Amino acid sequence: MASTQHVLLSPAELAYLHASLSLTPPIRPDGRTRTQFRPLVAETGILPGANGSARICFADGTEAIVGVKAEVERTQSRHDDETVYVEGAANNGGDGDAETKEDSRTGDSSWAEMTVEIPGLRDDDSGTAFLAAMLSEALLADGEFARRLWINRRFHWKLYLDIILISPPLSYPLPLLSLTTHLALLSTRLPRLQSEGDEDPFFDDDWAAAPHLFPRPTTTTPTHRPPITLLVMAVGDSIIFDPSKEELAVADVALAVSVSGDRSEPGEGGAGRKLRLLSIRTIDPPSRLTPPGVANAANSAYGAGNGAPQKMAEARTAEAEAAAEEGVWRAPRGGAKRAVLGALVQKVLEAGGVVDEVLDALEGVDLG
Amino acid sequence: MPITILAPRPSRPINPPSDPRAAMPDSDSDSDSDSDSGGGGGGVGLDPTGDIPMFAAAARRSKHALLDTTTASHSDIVTPGEVITDDPQWMRGHGTFVSAATAAIVSSVAGTVARTNKLLSVRPLRARYTPEVGDLVVGRIVEVQAKRWRVDVGGTQLAALPLSAINLPGGILRKRTETDELQIRTFFAEGDLLIAEVQQLFGDGGAVLHTRSLKYGKLRNGVFVAVSGMGGGGGVVRSRRQVWTMDAANGAGQMDVVLGVNGYVWISKHVETPEGLVAENKGAGITNMEESVSTMMYSSQNDRIGVETMREIARLRGVVTALVENGLRVDEDMVVRGYHEAVEMAMMSAEGADDIYLGGERGRQLAAALTGV
Repeated sequence: MASTQHVLLSPAELAYLHASLSLTPPIRPDGRTRTQFRPLVAETGILPGANGSARICFADGTEAIVGVKAEVERTQSRHDDETVYVEGAANNGGDGDAETKEDSRTGDSSWAEMTVEIPGLRDDDSGTAFLAAMLSEALLADGEFARRLWINRRFHWKLYLDIILISPPLSYPLPLLSLTTHLALLSTRLPRLQSEGDEDPFFDDDWAAAPHLFPRPTTTTPTHRPPITLLVMAVGDSIIFDPSKEELAVADVALAVSVSGDRSEPGEGGAGRKLRLLSIRTIDPPSRLTPPGVANAANSAYGAGNGAPQKMAEARTAEAEAAAEEGVWRAPRGGAKRAVLGALVQKVLEAGGVVDEVLDALEGVDLG
Repeated sequence: MPITILAPRPSRPINPPSDPRAAMPDSDSDSDSDSDSGGGGGGVGLDPTGDIPMFAAAARRSKHALLDTTTASHSDIVTPGEVITDDPQWMRGHGTFVSAATAAIVSSVAGTVARTNKLLSVRPLRARYTPEVGDLVVGRIVEVQAKRWRVDVGGTQLAALPLSAINLPGGILRKRTETDELQIRTFFAEGDLLIAEVQQLFGDGGAVLHTRSLKYGKLRNGVFVAVSGMGGGGGVVRSRRQVWTMDAANGAGQMDVVLGVNGYVWISKHVETPEGLVAENKGAGITNMEESVSTMMYSSQNDRIGVETMREIARLRGVVTALVENGLRVDEDMVVRGYHEAVEMAMMSAEGADDIYLGGERGRQLAAALTGV
């Protein structure tokens, strides 16, 4: 819901952008196809002091760094948990099978803390808070992620994800931050646990032996991957991925769609990947706040008002709203159409579509 | 392929030696001797691109030796506060100051050292636009005041456009009235783009613009792209022609290109104004023509623009961004050549002539084709 930053564009520019993006296929100002992302440079492991880190730089100059830091924290136990804890231990010792062990791993969403910093915006700015909420919501949506942070019944990992945009926000930074977070989590390693059971955790100090938080794809087990959040917008009937600032300024609808792509069976390419929709948020596009264009017929500087009796301002506004004239910008009014929303989500979840390709490309990044 | 992820590359060299002579060891070495032989020393003296290549290591070794180690083949960067030389024979230029205590020349910006005879100046890596009288600029209205507009021209300060410096509709010689002041937003409102000329400068570097010509006024029918000002060798440079009309490929008619000196670029469909209106008015007088043109000046309604034209406009915008991303200068020659090269590249590509994408690797290919490397 949070509004994206205000853009200052003239009505003539907005009308031109809207017209060119509404075409089929749309003509984007930077020449990309409708599903194409801006080319980006990515690397991981750039912060030696962090458990995992990544940097992504878009060709337009926006750049983000994400660092993941892990701490061991004592799990807050409720006082009535004590008996269950003893029983559970006895059960585990008795059965000793993997299934119950898996079940005992529980997680809490407070175990991961995400902060977003954007230059020029306060920490408690609604836009920043909204970005952080959206990203952590996608990460914690299925509860699977928090379970990975479980060490034993008494301790867990507390993960701090620090997301910093180092360039000024030239475009709405959501896709950039999401992709960077994804890469940083993929490169995150936690020290190998040497202690057993519920004793105080004791770790292997050999960093080379530290396992990844998200294990590498193997041939036997299904692999889990952190989610990605994509920004999708619609202008007329065109659906456009990764919109730039100008494109977002004429959007009818903009959605942030979080998807996870877990692999049930290993394989190259999109085959065997199960896309799951985790969350959808509507982004308030700045197009609604833009000033409307003035048609030549109503433009007094154009000569329309000269001599003719001045109409009441209200009457003129009503008239302008009634007639949509070609080449004159009018801000979108009203809510998003259901069919358009459906088409947007459909397009994101398409098998072998954009999400698959993005995840494949992210898997190709050298994780060091 | 919707996404391309590249591995990080080392950044491109700043100000690569464009002049082959600069790479030759002997061309510089004779002109920096104490007797001023700049005039005869291999023609380096007046060459504006003749940066002095230096090593930071040399600077630490000896301040006097700094300007003698010019045999290096790459240029060096100085940072604000760094002593360039304490040799009294040099004069300070732009981007430098003389420190009061040591009388040494110190850099005040981050950039490369440039030398003209005995004048040392530092060319900043990134700089905002500094207005000069007569510059043609593209600006965006950010503020409307009682009798003037404040215009963003990419400088350190907003430029001012007084109501008295625009062509009022209904004749060029009309007196400015109170009604005009009340209707100031009907001429230009916040966000509007305009093309103007710098008329006057204030002592603090602020500029006053005017649009008192039929060439100037509100912009429509096209796209805007802001390229950073001069820095790292790229960006718009002052040249003979900043505005021109060119033929678009694939039957898309003609396009107008405006390269504002401030690095703001406007690419639009070419609209025949004066001739068409003259024909319409059946040879009416010049005042009449000016009257009709000046009413067109404040229109914010786009004409009908064909799909082919929009595609070629987007292609040209891609050329400009590719030039800047690859550190090439943006002027008429480069843009026109780049555009023809881009059209050729699209013909060769798998998607055909409709493929207008020029980002990433494509842009690099385009730049390589233009520089002939």
